[in-house]
Amino acid sequence: MGLLRLVVFGFLALSVIYLAVWFYSRSVRREKLEKKWDAQHPDGGDIEARKAYIDQGMKDYHAGIRPKLILLIYVIPAVLVIGTLIVTNWN
Amino acid sequence: MLKYLRISIRALVLVFVFGLLHYVLPQHDVARITSTEVIRMDFSSFNRLFFAQSDSGSTELSTRDMRLINTERRKTMLLGFIPRQSQGVMVYRNEDTGWIWPPYFKFDSSDLQATASANMSAPGAEQWVVITHYGWRNRFFTIYPNAIGIRPVDGPDVRVIPWFNIFFFAFVIFAYFFIRAMWRQFRERSVDPVLQDVGETYDRIGDQAEETRGRVRRWLDSWRSKPRR
Repeated sequence: MGLLRLVVFGFLALSVIYLAVWFYSRSVRREKLEKKWDAQHPDGGDIEARKAYIDQGMKDYHAGIRPKLILLIYVIPAVLVIGTLIVTNWN
Repeated sequence: MLKYLRISIRALVLVFVFGLLHYVLPQHDVARITSTEVIRMDFSSFNRLFFAQSDSGSTELSTRDMRLINTERRKTMLLGFIPRQSQGVMVYRNEDTGWIWPPYFKFDSSDLQATASANMSAPGAEQWVVITHYGWRNRFFTIYPNAIGIRPVDGPDVRVIPWFNIFFFAFVIFAYFFIRAMWRQFRERSVDPVLQDVGETYDRIGDQAEETRGRVRRWLDSWRSKPRR
């Protein structure tokens, strides 16, 4: 029962962290793209082209490995729990 | 007044966090085990807080037997990291923490008790051990620190490096800066633009209200009696 409680509440807590980091990472990437565009087009450039550029950049970001690395938020605590379990109870 | 209140609340939070960490984080004692025993504990609702749980496979009752480890230990300072020369007695409890809190995931209390018994020694032929534990000893409330691990060592002057605590505090610092960065990003990108919008709308509403009030006032004024000629 205790294990079930740990898994359920641990999953909920980690999901909150996961979502927060997911949004943060996306937001940072979008800001970077915006700044890059603005640096290349000091006059602002075409608004449609700017939007297309950022959309394409975000698509590339989601296809890359970085958003998948955020899944480590679930993996690392699980590994830590198992590691602690072994270290504490090793005889 | 408000300033003092704010300072007091902050101090209270700080003391609480320090106390919590001091209670929960692992500490290491160099000790000599003198005996082990089992006593029956009848918890009060207060000191029950400071005990973990019955053996993980058993059921939880209000009264149960508890394993204790009696020792003579080197006294320590500063979260238990700096040894001193003086000695004193210390009694540890030895309970499973199970799956939840504090997260030591300890299920091997019986084995630990056997290890403790195997390392008992008499004065003159000391077998020193390092006892990893968390928790506090308090005589008035009858609470004991919970032993997590026992490791025999050659002599009493061992240097224990608290790896877990080092990594833990490094992680806390990292988490602090990460959360701060996240919060700033959130404010800059999500809250501030909305607030700016709200501010502009508010200003516009204010202007409109001003105009409307001006009109109402002019209308009301028209009902005032004209100054007598």
